Amino acid sequence: MRTTILVVSMLMFTMGLGVAADGPETFYSYVDSSICARLMLGPITQERIECSQDTSKNGDSPALVRLSNNMVLEVNKHKMVKPLVGGFANVTGTTKVKAGKIKLESAEPVEVGDIPAGDPARQLLDVRNFRASETVYNQVRHALAMMPYISEFDFISFTMNGDTVILTGWTVRLTNRQEAYNRVKVVEGVGAIVNNIEVLPMGRNDMNVRAGARARLQQHLSRYFWGSGSDIKIIVKNGRIILLGTVSTEGDKNLANIQCNQVPGAFHVFNLLRVEKG
Amino acid sequence: MSRGNNSSLRSLFWCGAALVPLLLMAACAPATQETVTVSGTEVHVMPAGQEHSGFLGDYSQLQPQPDLENTTAYVNRDEQKNLHHYLAIIIDPVQVYVATDDDPSLLEDRGKGAITNYFKLAMANAVVDAFAIVDEPGPLTLRLRTALVGVDIGDEAPANELPEGAEPLNRSINIGEVGLEMELVDSVTGERIAAAVNRTTLGEPAEIGSTRFAQVERYDAAQEIIDGWAAALRDFLDEAHELSEEEAQRAIESYRPYGGIQ
Repeated sequence: MRTTILVVSMLMFTMGLGVAADGPETFYSYVDSSICARLMLGPITQERIECSQDTSKNGDSPALVRLSNNMVLEVNKHKMVKPLVGGFANVTGTTKVKAGKIKLESAEPVEVGDIPAGDPARQLLDVRNFRASETVYNQVRHALAMMPYISEFDFISFTMNGDTVILTGWTVRLTNRQEAYNRVKVVEGVGAIVNNIEVLPMGRNDMNVRAGARARLQQHLSRYFWGSGSDIKIIVKNGRIILLGTVSTEGDKNLANIQCNQVPGAFHVFNLLRVEKG
Repeated sequence: MSRGNNSSLRSLFWCGAALVPLLLMAACAPATQETVTVSGTEVHVMPAGQEHSGFLGDYSQLQPQPDLENTTAYVNRDEQKNLHHYLAIIIDPVQVYVATDDDPSLLEDRGKGAITNYFKLAMANAVVDAFAIVDEPGPLTLRLRTALVGVDIGDEAPANELPEGAEPLNRSINIGEVGLEMELVDSVTGERIAAAVNRTTLGEPAEIGSTRFAQVERYDAAQEIIDGWAAALRDFLDEAHELSEEEAQRAIESYRPYGGIQ
């Protein structure tokens, strides 16, 4: 039952069926960064908290994730919540669901223990709700990895909440958003799908930044690039570069950062590359 | 050797040097390539006795495609320059080559425009969710060049039974035996990334006798052909984007989602 309510509320959010609240409302939220809210929607893990804090420290704008339904909300008063990034808050404000925004009135930090037992907000804090069948997880992962139009400029991630798949990430092609949904839909064991994949703008400056970043990375870190794809993903949005994927060493991660920072037209680099363990 | 002799030799050398490219161009050009201008727009004539129109220049790279019927194609597999690396596309105006024995001056601008505009729109609709459609060359941008080859100019088009707003053409245009030549090039360097020639023909007339042929039932066959070419273009792009076995293996190994607890 709890899962059903959660799924219905997620679907309502995705389909834009929600309506703006009449007045201010108060709810528990995780204070995230915009990038990590998009990349890691789902359980609040240590990796996510570090992601939120690092990207926020490097200039990414804060975002609120409503704990009862995973809804991501952009905030109007960054200063009010920026010090709380990586933690939880009880916020009051007027939400505009379709626009994914909240007009904040107040934000008070809270500890997990402050959230009452049985409160819907607790569901998303319990990582056990996000454990999924390993077989289903691997099939979803395989289906997404094999998408033909995925390039080095796309990164589609996903989280499982029971049999619900939450698709997140960024793509430069509209077709990938639908294709990801279609491929996951036919995986046996998948119930509902929440499609939060963002289609990126294709402005002239962003295209130049993409080309420039790829050229530099291909020149200096060529072993991560192969025929039709790459291990390093270059997400570019409004002049900001987000580096994703896995590299072998800390040195390669730093080199990628240095190279991308030299790309003309790039305002900032968020280096979220992972380093291979062991 | 005297100064005068040197000068004559230099003149002879430069004359020769200038002639070589001209001779080479003449040798490489398709026989009797003819282009006429009708009402300000170019119409090409299919060269006599040639398999190809000459639109693509070099046809030597094209190979039969087992998965695409009646199609020969080339896809650049270079790591730096392959279709996977392009995100946007410029769709050039469609070129028209009339059949060798046709008088190109009989092809009206209105008729040519009706076909080429419809085809360009059909191609845009076919690719728009995979490639951003843009007007200017730039990085990560392809240029799509296409030509309809062997367009046949028919008899007087029947004017009756046309819907309101649909102007009849003076002469109908038959595309039942038309072939399609296309090329994708890097929009900045002009380097060829892919090319294809499709020779699927209907084997029966597919006439167009009105500027708004898509609204007229008796021209449905022509509309279907054009829609089919647009769909074939998308099939070609989809096919070229499929991962090889090796690439698929690497993609699966490489793909590790963020978030979650798996």
